[in-house]
Parts: sequence; structure tokens; C-alpha cells
Amino acid sequence: MRDNIYIRLGLPVIVVCVVAAAGLALTYGVTKDRIAAQDAEAVQKSLLVVLPEAKSFEAVTDTATLAAAGEAAGDVTLEGVYRALDANGNPAGTGILVASRGYGGPIKMAVGVDGNGKVAGVSIVSMNETPGLGSKVVDNKDFLPRFGGLASADAAHKVDTITGATKSSRGVRKGVEAALAVYAVIGAGGGGSQ
Amino acid sequence: MKQWLEVLRNGLSFENPLTVLMIGLCSTLAVSSKVEGAFFMGIAVVFVLTMSNVLISAVRKFTPDEVRIPIFIVIIAAFVTIVDLVLKGYFPSIYSFLGVWIPLIVVNCIVLGRAEAYAYHNGVWLSVADGLGMGAGYLIIITGLAAVRELFGSGKLMFLGQTLVSFGAAYRGPNILLLFPGAFILFGFVIAGSHALNRRLAARKEGSA
Repeated sequence: MRDNIYIRLGLPVIVVCVVAAAGLALTYGVTKDRIAAQDAEAVQKSLLVVLPEAKSFEAVTDTATLAAAGEAAGDVTLEGVYRALDANGNPAGTGILVASRGYGGPIKMAVGVDGNGKVAGVSIVSMNETPGLGSKVVDNKDFLPRFGGLASADAAHKVDTITGATKSSRGVRKGVEAALAVYAVIGAGGGGSQ
Repeated sequence: MKQWLEVLRNGLSFENPLTVLMIGLCSTLAVSSKVEGAFFMGIAVVFVLTMSNVLISAVRKFTPDEVRIPIFIVIIAAFVTIVDLVLKGYFPSIYSFLGVWIPLIVVNCIVLGRAEAYAYHNGVWLSVADGLGMGAGYLIIITGLAAVRELFGSGKLMFLGQTLVSFGAAYRGPNILLLFPGAFILFGFVIAGSHALNRRLAARKEGSA
């Protein structure tokens, strides 16, 4: 009798869960490639925003360099380093993709660093910050440009946060600091792909 | 068929989830600042509501009372995740505007509320009508609210990158419409209007009966 209740209540739940999981696996399989393509496009677009002079981007693939760079980023996740090339194939800066912790999850952003080691631009690729509060880091049009021209993590650390979006703007700030730390490690030229 | 239409119409008027039942208001106030986003949010809710109503109604005979809520939630969450993945893959700009509100459909009271109050006690066919009616009621109110807010708040109406109506660059609308207080105030008028309409409909129904 005691076994019965587990089967009577448990079985329907298990069956529903299995069917739901199968349905989701199917949808995921169908949409996976599209989503990956959209993500790649979003990254490409953000890189173009932060390094407007660049024409093409080469991902740095050297594992030793990436490992050292990832170390420098600390608790911010380094998602990729891209060498930007202008129309003539000359170096046009470095695009660094990082994900730092915001209020509502990871804030994924692209940081462009020019040939002189200064921040050329910051752009948010994706985030889940609270609409109306944390989202001010994007909506306040003067926030992201505050990082422009900064050359060191210390300078980036002094950028003011936004009232009502303290955690989110701190997240962005940490991301920029990490990107500059990464740049300090890999430098302007090296990195294996040059 | 007559009963089917009646159920469908109830969702739009006498039992409209937003203006009469007053559930699911959180997402309504939050995403009704842009017509485009509001419209797709409405479509997403119609889809999730109808599909979960159908499935919950179909399995209601095999669903033990004690564990019905977990089963409802799993079914609803599955459909929401499907919407989430599809939007992410095919409509990235809308996905980025709606953001967290899509996953939050799981906890939207309308969906679980209709599962519990309607689909669990009625047949599949009628549950379709309930899902469509309730969803359409939500869609119409949220899109209308967004249209007024966007048009008078920002001076133009955009849909899929096209400008539908524009008051010109000189227009300076009341900013409050785009902010939450404006949504609250405007929503009060929407409720009043919808009640006036419902009263008239009810009077006509009585007259014809």
C-alpha cells in the first residue's frame, strides 16, 4: 500500500517530465545553429561598434596566451580576444570579449582597445539586468562613453556608477578593468595570430 | 459551437484577464512601452496559454490532484522555453527587448490561473477557446496600451523597423507616459473603458434574451 502512493503520484510527474524534456531537446536541436549564428553576429556587431575603423577580426586561438589572459581577467570570464585589421590589413586595435557578473546574471560585453592601449569603446553584447534600473548602463547614453580613452584598470575603477544601477554599472566597470588587464598581458602586437 | 464562441468571447470581454480578473499586470505594465515588443509578448502569451491549456486539459484525467501544480508548471515551462529558443534564434531584436519577461511567462498568473481554473475541469476543445480568448484579451489590451504610450510618449509608432505614424521631430510628448506611473494612470482609463463596454454588452445581451 505504501509503495502505491509513490507510483500513483510519481509516475504521472515522471512521464510529463520525460515528454517535456524530449520536446525541449527537439526544439533546442532545431534552433541551436540559428542561435549560435545570431550570437556570432551580435559579437561581430559589438566589435564593430567598439572598433569602428576595423574591417575584419581575427580570433586569437593560441591557448597559452588565452590562459595567461584569462588569469589576468580574475573572476571575470574572458570569452575571446580578437585582433582587428583595417581595410589595408594593418592592425587596428584589439577587441576583448568578457562576461562579468551583473545583478541579473552575466553581462557580456565587448571592449575595444586601440593601438595605444586606450579604451576605444565599450558595448554590451547581452545582459539580463532589471529593465528600468540595471538597464540604465545601456539606456543612459553617457555611461559607456565614460570609459573611453582610459588606459589602465585603476583609471577605469574610478568611473562613477549610476544611481539605481550600482551593481550593474559595477559589473560593467569590472568587465572593463578585466579587459584592460588582459590587454596588459597580451600587448598590442603579439598573441600568436599575428 | 455556440458555447465555444461564448468562452472565446468571455476572455475578451466579461472575463478579460487584465481589465476584469486583474491578473498578469506586472508584465503588462513593464513591456507596454513599445508596440512591437508588446505585440510579440502578446503572441507569446497566446501561444503558451493555448498550448498549455490543450495539454493540461488532455492529461487532466491522468493527473492526480496532489501533484497537479508541478505537472502544470512543467508543461508551461516547456512551452515557454520553446518560445524563448525560437525568439532567440529568429527574432533577436525582439528577444533583446523582451529579455527576462519571456522566461517570466512561466510565473504569469494568467497561464497557471487558467490551467487551474479552466483547463483542469473542461474538455480540450473548450480549453482551446479559453486559451485563445484569454490570450487575445491580453494581446489586445497590452498592444493598445503600448500604442498609446509609444505614440503620445515618443511621438511616433514603430513596428518591425517601419515608422507607422509620426508627429514630426518638433513633438514633445509627456515623458511620464513612457515611465511606469504613466502606464498605471493610463491603465486605469483602460479598465474604466473596458467596464463601460462590458456593461453595454451585458445590457444588449439581456435585451436580446
